Amino acid sequence: MPLEILLVLVGGGIGGITLLLHLTGKSRQRVLTPGSARSEWARHAPDDTVTDVTLTHDGHVALIRTPAGVGLLWAFGADTVARPLQDFDWLDHPRGVRIQFHDFGAPGVVIRLDDLERKHWRHLLETA
Amino acid sequence: MTDQLTFPDAVQWAVPFFIAAILAEFLWIAIKGRGGRYETRDAVTSLIMGAGNIASGFLLGFIAYGFFMWLWRIAPLDLGTSIPVIVLCFVLDDLRYYWVHRFGHRIRWVWASHVNHHSSQHYNLTTALRQTWTYTFTFMMVVRAPLILLGFHPAMVLFVGGLNLIYQFWIHTEAIGKMPRWFEAVMNTPSHHRAHHGRNARYLDCNYAGVFIIWDKLFGTFVPEQDDDRVDYGLVHNIGTFNPLRVAFHEWVAIWRDATQPGLSLRQRLAYCFAPPGYSHDGSRDGSDAIKAKHLARHPEDHGTPGFERFDKKMPNTQAKNA
Ligand SMILES: [Zn+2]
Ligand SMILES: [Zn+2]
Repeated sequence: MPLEILLVLVGGGIGGITLLLHLTGKSRQRVLTPGSARSEWARHAPDDTVTDVTLTHDGHVALIRTPAGVGLLWAFGADTVARPLQDFDWLDHPRGVRIQFHDFGAPGVVIRLDDLERKHWRHLLETA
Repeated sequence: MTDQLTFPDAVQWAVPFFIAAILAEFLWIAIKGRGGRYETRDAVTSLIMGAGNIASGFLLGFIAYGFFMWLWRIAPLDLGTSIPVIVLCFVLDDLRYYWVHRFGHRIRWVWASHVNHHSSQHYNLTTALRQTWTYTFTFMMVVRAPLILLGFHPAMVLFVGGLNLIYQFWIHTEAIGKMPRWFEAVMNTPSHHRAHHGRNARYLDCNYAGVFIIWDKLFGTFVPEQDDDRVDYGLVHNIGTFNPLRVAFHEWVAIWRDATQPGLSLRQRLAYCFAPPGYSHDGSRDGSDAIKAKHLARHPEDHGTPGFERFDKKMPNTQAKNA
C-alpha cells in the first residue's frame, strides 16, 4: 500500500473515531459514590478492608483508609485507578492540589477542590 | 533458493477493514445498549499504539528481517510456496505464536513489550490495536528460527504471522457471546480471549492462543470464561496514564528501576529482568500463583474450579475449619 494512502487512512481513522466518541458523550469522567469507591478499591486491592472513604465534592477522587494505610482512588476516564499514598508529593494547584507519584505508569492526578474542602484535603494529605 | 519472494503486507491492507469494523461495533453497542463500552481517551490511546506499532515495524523491522534472511541462506530445505505448505506454515506459526505469547506473560523482559496490549480496562475492537512498539527488543524473533530452518520462506512466515494478527482482531469484542460449540472447541474466540484479558485471579496466565485454542488445551493453560466470574479487564496493577509514550515504555522503566537499585546481588538483578512478572527480591510483591492462592483463601468455594485446578485443596480447608 502506498505510504501516503496508509497515512491518510490511519490519520483520518483516528481523527474520525475520536470525534465520534467525543461527540457522543464518551469522554465523561467517572463519578464515584461512597459505595462505588469502596467496591472499586476492593477491585484494585482485594485483600484490603476499607474503613473510611472521603470523596471530593465533584466525585472524581476518593481518599481511602484501610488498616494498611491511606490510598487514593481516582476517575480514569470511565474507569478508576488506585494507588497507596506512599512515595508521593503533593503541590498546590489553581484548581485544588496536584498529586505526583514516583511511578512512570501513573505519574499523578489533579484533585479538583472547591474552597470549602480545600483545607480539609490539605490536612488529609499532610497526615497521610 | 529463492531470495526474492513477495507476499502482500496483510496488516496494512486490513486497516480500512479495522476502521469499518470499529464503527460497526460502536453502532451495534449504541443501538443494542449492550455488548461493550467505549471511552474516548482509552480508544484514542489504543489506536495511536496501533499506528505506532506499524511505524516501529517500518523503523525496526529490518532487524528481524535481516536475521530471517540470514537464516534462510543457511536453511538446508526449501519447501516452496504451494497452498498446503502455506497452510502448514500458518498452523506451525500459530504454535510459535502460542509460545511467544506465553513467554510474553511469564518472562518480565518480554512482558515489558506485551504489557501494553493488556493496559486498557476496556475490551473492544480498539483494544486489539493496542500493540507493542518494543517487540524487536524482546528478541522473540528467534522463536521463528525453526520455521525458517525447516524451509518456510521468511516472507511467507511474516505473511502468515500477519494473518494471525488479523484473525485476532475480531475476537476483541464483548458484542459476541459464544460461537457455535465446535468453533469454541477448536478456535480462539471472543469468549476465550476475554478470559485472557482478565485480571481476575482465575484468569491470570490462561488462553495464550492466537488462532487455535487447541494449544492451550494441549499445554494445560486453557480456562473457559465463567458465567459467574465476569472478566475484569486490565492489569493486576492498572496504569494511570493515557500517554502513549508512558504506555509503551512503563514496564521497561520499571525493570530499569528495579534492577539498578542499590544492594542487590547479580542474581536478583537478573531476576528483575527475566523472572515472571511479580518477582521481588524481598517478597513484597505477588506473582500470579500468590494472587491465586490469596484469592482461594478469601473464596475457598473456588477450589478446583477452572483456573485454580493446580492448587492443593486441603490447606485452606483446614484454615476454614479453624476459623
Ligand atoms: Zn496477552
Ligand atoms: Zn488481546
